[in-house]
Amino acid sequence: MRIVAGALVLACAPGFAQQPEPLKAGAELYARNCSPCHGARMLDPQGAFDLRKFPRDQRERFVTSVSKGKNAMPPWGDVLKPEEIESLWLYVTMGERG
Amino acid sequence: MRVVFAAAILSGATAVCAQSLDDLKNDGRNTDNILTYGMGYHQQRYSRLSQIDRKSVRRLVPVWSLSLDNNWGEQAQPIVYNGVMYVTNARHTVAIDVATGKQIWKHTLEWPPETPRVVCCGVSNKGAAIYNGRVYRTTLDAHVIALDAKDGKELWRTKVAEWKDGVSLTLAPLIANGVLVIGNSGAEYGVRGFIDGIDPETGKRLWRRYTIPARGEKGNETWPQDNNAWEVGGGSAWITGSYDPQLDLMFWGTGNPAPWASQSRPGDNLYTSSVLAMRPKTGEIVWHYQFTPNDAYDYDACWELINADLKIDGKDRKVLMQLNRNGFVYVLDRASGSLISARPYAKVNWASAVDPDTGRPVESDIAKSIRAGKPTEMWPSTRGGKNWMHASFNPQTGLLYAATLHEGRMYKHLEIKPHVVGQRYMYIENLPLPRAAGEPIGHIDAINPLTGEKKWRVPLTDFQVWSATLSTGGGLVFTGKETGEFIALDAETGKQLWQFQTGSGINAMPVTYTHKGRQYVTVLSGIGGLYWNIAREQLQNVPQGGSVWTFALMPD
Repeated sequence: MRIVAGALVLACAPGFAQQPEPLKAGAELYARNCSPCHGARMLDPQGAFDLRKFPRDQRERFVTSVSKGKNAMPPWGDVLKPEEIESLWLYVTMGERG
Repeated sequence: MRVVFAAAILSGATAVCAQSLDDLKNDGRNTDNILTYGMGYHQQRYSRLSQIDRKSVRRLVPVWSLSLDNNWGEQAQPIVYNGVMYVTNARHTVAIDVATGKQIWKHTLEWPPETPRVVCCGVSNKGAAIYNGRVYRTTLDAHVIALDAKDGKELWRTKVAEWKDGVSLTLAPLIANGVLVIGNSGAEYGVRGFIDGIDPETGKRLWRRYTIPARGEKGNETWPQDNNAWEVGGGSAWITGSYDPQLDLMFWGTGNPAPWASQSRPGDNLYTSSVLAMRPKTGEIVWHYQFTPNDAYDYDACWELINADLKIDGKDRKVLMQLNRNGFVYVLDRASGSLISARPYAKVNWASAVDPDTGRPVESDIAKSIRAGKPTEMWPSTRGGKNWMHASFNPQTGLLYAATLHEGRMYKHLEIKPHVVGQRYMYIENLPLPRAAGEPIGHIDAINPLTGEKKWRVPLTDFQVWSATLSTGGGLVFTGKETGEFIALDAETGKQLWQFQTGSGINAMPVTYTHKGRQYVTVLSGIGGLYWNIAREQLQNVPQGGSVWTFALMPD
């Protein structure tokens, strides 16, 4: 697992063009559906949760919040497939590093 | 015979007890009532009432407050009829006794918890319409409902669209020439905007006018003919239109095209970012004027299109005025749609001017840079030189009074991906710019509509104001702050004369009226809407919670 994660970090460094597919899919989903509130590339969260601060060890909390909604955020579980939410988690935790 | 006689009595009773189309036309003359959105079909948000004036306003005190049991935010304009106030938010419709502040009835809506997913800019509702003993409102999940004004009983419910397709409704309906008219929200989700005429008696749709013409219809040639951009092209009409009963024309502003990035839709993209002059009985478009052709900036034209009579070059002109999101204040001839003037009222860098001959903006190198997909400092930002918070027009001073925005953003078009039904369709990056210390982020302005010049401006350095203004014959301008203060300014100078701290933030529309000869002012408090989405962190010490606040002068 650690080797895979390391490979992801390395792959992220040069930018989207060389990102692995799940990360790229997460980035695209984020840009379409999440960035209007959480900010382009998570840079400008304004009133929404600052995802750069989301604890990296709380994947389940992330999946639950996206699926069922949290505070002002509506539920997304009926339109996003589990693997899409996983790709979002990958993007949120890895996508803008490096 | 007896049947006919009884029917005549019933019909007579209705005419006495429920306001008619004539009452709606004359809204403002009887100061006991507020029957239309904008305090008159003209949407001037002006009352001649002057008991509360520059001197007496210091004695203005709250006389009652009522909880609205709602945390989603309050944006609505109250309606007042025969001593009863009707207030809406996303959850409830409430009837209130004006004299006591006591709730008479409450109607509660249920909508799926997923619905806010298709609401870009705040879960709210902007108010009700009243006609013939019924209260009408729209719902977040794209229905229109009719309630009995007496008891709140639901009389009919019409599904306008499928919310999962990205359509929501937050506006107050317009009753014009006996037709209930609404428009939709949803351009951020790639819906095709429409304006519907509905029979107020039955809820049956009488006509639908899409704001984007179909293939073969006039105007569709302004969209690409080799893709389906027009079908997902936005142009939602999310604010109530104004209406001129003499011309029998209603004026609806339309929103931005979709997506915000413009590469997929070369052409003017009619009728997005435009005003449509329409017949209420048929939805026929009599004339149109497009403020921002091929809008690449989210410059909706939805909000108040104020009708007024102005003397211009010695001639009386029937005009239509708008502080457009694109930073220019437009004055049009409302019979013909011809341009009279368009001058900047805010910092604008995407266009250098509006060409007086063609009526089209002269786009700058900034616009070229944005269209080339480069990150570009853009003024005004996508939120505009002004947003929905309605201006008022005082015919005594000839000035528009409005909360305006002073904000640029680093804006960039992204590659456009295929449209997914019910999901965002914008494809831009929109990042903040560094700001000099002390530079205002907005103003409260008194603006000459023909020149854009400010008679005065109140700079705002902490929070923008996202409330409508109310102008009065007492020489006052009322508005509210996101930090909760309801304030009165001197219309001549902008000096703040009075304030009262309500229980939450104000992002709504104050009104004034009389009851038993006494002038009242009412505003809703309850933080919500787009600005709360933006500045929630900074406003963390402003609690949520909706309420109605009503004020009157303390006796001497």
